[in-house]
Amino acid sequence: MMTQQGQVLETLLSGGFVCRISNEDMFNFLQQPQTAQQIETQLNILNRTLTKAADGEVFFASYLSLADKERAVLERQFKEITANLLPLVEWLLLVQESTGQDMPLAQGSAIRLNELQSTIEDTPALLEQLGKISAFTLFGSTSKTADGQLKQIFKRLGELGYLVKPNSEKQIYIATGKLEYLYEVIRFIDETEALSLTEQAEAAMQQGVLL
Amino acid sequence: MKDNITQAGQKLLRAMARHSDIIMQAYVKGAVDEGQHSPQVLDNLQSLGILWRPDIESDLRLRRIVRALLEEGLSDERNRQVDANIGSALAKVTTLVAHYKEACNKHRFAEAESHMADLTELTYAMIDSLKQGVRGLWSRIHKEFGYVASIDAKIRENQLAQQQVTDILSQLEMFHFDKLAQEAGSNRDLRRLLVVTLQSNFAAVTQELSLVQARLNELLGRFREFQGRTRLLKGFVLHLEQQPDYSPQNYAKHSQVPNVFNQAQAIIEPAAVDVRNANHEAELAQIVGRIKAIFHLRSQTPQAAAQTVKVEQSEAVALAENKIRQSVEDYFCHIIDTGARLSALDYHVEHKLEFDHETWIYQVIGGYEALPTGDKAYFGLEKSLRDHPQFTGNKIIEDVALWFS
Repeated sequence: MMTQQGQVLETLLSGGFVCRISNEDMFNFLQQPQTAQQIETQLNILNRTLTKAADGEVFFASYLSLADKERAVLERQFKEITANLLPLVEWLLLVQESTGQDMPLAQGSAIRLNELQSTIEDTPALLEQLGKISAFTLFGSTSKTADGQLKQIFKRLGELGYLVKPNSEKQIYIATGKLEYLYEVIRFIDETEALSLTEQAEAAMQQGVLL
Repeated sequence: MKDNITQAGQKLLRAMARHSDIIMQAYVKGAVDEGQHSPQVLDNLQSLGILWRPDIESDLRLRRIVRALLEEGLSDERNRQVDANIGSALAKVTTLVAHYKEACNKHRFAEAESHMADLTELTYAMIDSLKQGVRGLWSRIHKEFGYVASIDAKIRENQLAQQQVTDILSQLEMFHFDKLAQEAGSNRDLRRLLVVTLQSNFAAVTQELSLVQARLNELLGRFREFQGRTRLLKGFVLHLEQQPDYSPQNYAKHSQVPNVFNQAQAIIEPAAVDVRNANHEAELAQIVGRIKAIFHLRSQTPQAAAQTVKVEQSEAVALAENKIRQSVEDYFCHIIDTGARLSALDYHVEHKLEFDHETWIYQVIGGYEALPTGDKAYFGLEKSLRDHPQFTGNKIIEDVALWFS
């Protein structure tokens, strides 16, 4: 039986994100300064450090100092993240439109797969959108049916840590803190490169281009 | 006078009950379809002040008071109006207090009592309308403005609610308790009504309102965040649509890599098996047990040699049971042949059967019971019984006698 500290360390060193949805106990453990310090010391031995993102809602391990080897890893990772941004964003918008609540997904939002599926199947525009999203290499679905495409997308998102399924028998997924991390990435890019994405969207909405 | 009012009120309520379909239609649809109802009825409802026509060309609509009554009764969320005309109500209070005082001074107590009743009604109505406003605000907050779909609409609704809170607060400022206390003077009833009741409710409403305001601000913040997120996502998609070859700068190449893009690689791999660890023996054995045998080298497996198949008669298995059944059958045949009455035990002795007596008798009874009903009628069976020595009511069968009838 591993101690809590050991479990947290293992998750962090396996490249996992710790948030209050994916594992509340670990999250609380990392929130306490004293225990977080213990983990930090242990991570430091391996040239890693505990990093918070999205207003302290997510913890993950990052490199302490960067040499060429680490940079190579980060570059590869960065390419992966940016390549995955569009499919993820499109998926987020699809879910938002299908639920009809006009609420963007956030940490802790529940998605009922069955309801989502029936809404999408009833709306040709959403169905088309789903087909497009599922064909992205990130999801890599070859299925022709909405059922297969959705299952594949949700399976992949579960593997990537964006969603958890609290009850294996029920098709209900909960968004994790990694989603907040995703928002932060987009916001970061937006701010750093001065893309003014929000303003673009606003202007487009006023012209009625979007939606 | 009171009878008149009661009668007129009942007449009004009866009219409303009789034409409830028209009223509900007007409530739900906003206007009455005049083609469906007789003009007489509609005129009547108009003269009673239930329906009205805003101008000549428009349809008949429900009067505001009736609508308000229905909204209140149905707790309809469309009820977003906050009426708090405190200013005029307070002016009315002052007037009534003056009437009351004058009547008291002139010792017209009946008149004074009626003014007091009016004043009480007015005060309570004022408190009720304030509380009603606050209740309405809370119910909308609890539903998080769920009756409108889009975030933008929710934000607008939130702003309306905030405006209403400000309105109520500015209305509340019109209360000057020092003036009211002065008006009430030393009159006990007036003081109770104007100072104690009003003040305690005033305090409660003010407190509630500050809570409402805080909650509304919190909700507005949340809605704005949602809105911001949605716009961020849509903006991103839009940006990529307009510039398909766009890709963000490579932040990993910067001298200072931002935290969001500094994610350490996974370094933990599953641990290897240690076969020498005695503690794991049971688990490892189980895992090995689950491994299925796989033969990759098929050619080495010996092929089954051909064999000549000998067909033999399967051996007849005679059960001992069959013997006893045969004997029972013989016994029955014997009875048929002789036609005489014969006890089973006598037959047993006569034919020197080797079965146990009890088994034999049991089988005979069984054989008799197993006969089809038609055949059973040919035989008569009598059991010679003996009481159990210890347990009364229980009988022991000593012998059975069978005869052909």
